[in-house]
Amino acid sequence: MTDSTIAHPGFAAARGISAIDMLATYVRHLLWRHSRGVIFWTIGVTVYSALMILSFPAFEESGSLDVSQYPEAVREAFNLESLSTIEPFLSSQLFNFLPLVLMFIPITAFAGAIVGAEERGALDVLFGTPLPRPVYVIAYWVAVATLMLLMLLTLGIGSWIAAVAIDVDLGLGESLLASLNVFPITMAAGSIGLALSAAVRVRGVAIGVPVALMFLMYLLDILGKLVDELEPFRNLSFFKAYGDALQDGMPWGGAAVLLVIAVALGALAIPLFQRRDIYA
Amino acid sequence: MSSPAIVTEHLTKTYGANRGIRDINLTINQGEIFGFLGPNGAGKSTTMRTLLGFMRPTSGSARIFGHDIVTESVAIRHHVGNLPGEFALEDRMTGRQMLKLHADLRGVTDLSYAEELAERLQADLDRPTRRLSRGNKQKIGIIIALFHRPRLVMLDEPTSGLDPLMQETCLDLLLEARQRGQTVFISSHILPEIERVADRIGIIREGELIAVEHTHELTSRTFRHVRIGFADPITSDIITRFHTLDGVDRFDTIEERSLAFQAHGDINEVVRLAARYDLTMLDIERPSLEEMFMRYYNSDSPREATA
Repeated sequence: MTDSTIAHPGFAAARGISAIDMLATYVRHLLWRHSRGVIFWTIGVTVYSALMILSFPAFEESGSLDVSQYPEAVREAFNLESLSTIEPFLSSQLFNFLPLVLMFIPITAFAGAIVGAEERGALDVLFGTPLPRPVYVIAYWVAVATLMLLMLLTLGIGSWIAAVAIDVDLGLGESLLASLNVFPITMAAGSIGLALSAAVRVRGVAIGVPVALMFLMYLLDILGKLVDELEPFRNLSFFKAYGDALQDGMPWGGAAVLLVIAVALGALAIPLFQRRDIYA
Repeated sequence: MSSPAIVTEHLTKTYGANRGIRDINLTINQGEIFGFLGPNGAGKSTTMRTLLGFMRPTSGSARIFGHDIVTESVAIRHHVGNLPGEFALEDRMTGRQMLKLHADLRGVTDLSYAEELAERLQADLDRPTRRLSRGNKQKIGIIIALFHRPRLVMLDEPTSGLDPLMQETCLDLLLEARQRGQTVFISSHILPEIERVADRIGIIREGELIAVEHTHELTSRTFRHVRIGFADPITSDIITRFHTLDGVDRFDTIEERSLAFQAHGDINEVVRLAARYDLTMLDIERPSLEEMFMRYYNSDSPREATA
């Protein structure tokens, strides 16, 4: 008989379970729970990327990739110096705005983790178990990060395969780095949602605020490139740190900053959730 | 004597407008079934949720098996099985998957008792919970609360949504849990089901614990609404005979062929007297909880809440 159970013939009593075991159990559960949605996203974004790459030769032949007639400011804002190679083409057609699309995965998942689950009434059953709240938050972050990484790895490999298939010069390394560069910025955006999820009482706020912030930061980054006076404000935008991995190389410093922000906001969610009253 | 399962001292939780609990002093002994009785919104769920660490007390303190509810909530939840009053299950999961998840989070490897519970409650463990009715979801919730045989079972309105047969089964399971030495803390607004299983009853009203009684003491204080229909017109002699019975008062209705009054204590005297006449109806009803409160507390000052 263990401390936590009543002896009963035929009952294999509960064994002690560590926080690490609970973390692993709950991460596995979350991977299963969120996998279906992420699989659809993965297929969608990978197919889109492959189609863009497969269509590149056709665009190239038609001459429609000549951007020399575009205003210089526009070319500068969207990093469109030339579309004659696959890197700037893929940047402009996919990676420049991909964070604005994929951010919805972590943001909605994290918003659903605390305030969304509270609204549904799902936390009451779960926290009848000994699952510590910090473990729950960490499990969510780890599970979502894992799914994002798997999705982006698939995107990187899928894009490279499409390039190889039509003999376009896109290396596996640069394809993978361009894809994985989306990870820090989307997790940073998602982690804003996670911190808000722990702090607010309305799920819509935990989704709406990070989404609005990300669009504002995107706009700020573009305007900062167009207007000299606004250039210093680009430092406030995640998109400056995100950069353009395909054209300018992997922005390791920016990625590290965004990862630190993501982890810090995820960590902030822990004390916020610890202090939170869970309402029925 | 073993230490108490639950001890609260001036436990207070306030939130929103006029909501919460105030100054709850309560001791629940190990191995007893404690019924927590009160109308909807009285503070039953708030008390349970505060004890389980869902909400932090505004003031006061409480311990479960010696563990502080604020700082040692995780340790407490190792010992507790909980059925919330309102809850949602994971839509895409089946009851069996839910049970497996909860077993894994508790380190329980043997689900044979869960299977036994599912059989007795006729719960469908293999259908996604989104396709289950309210009552069937409630059964899954009950199994999750009981399957690991915790030292303390906390059930908030456990029979809600169950059909009468399953309500009985649920109450039987609680009696069996007590026989094994488990402590059961059950809340309800239905007096008869609490009466049936509880050793002691705590009554909460507007956030205040106004009494803790042994069940038989509370039962003896309750009254019944009695309505008798006579085949023949009632004489003043009949009225006098009922009027002079011990515990009979408050004649609500005196009509040509019917009487309605309230009877306290032993109902047998009323039945024996009624049996002497040719009746068309004999209706004996329990009072509503609100009525019981009114009668019970209009004549008594609040009692000491700790046993």
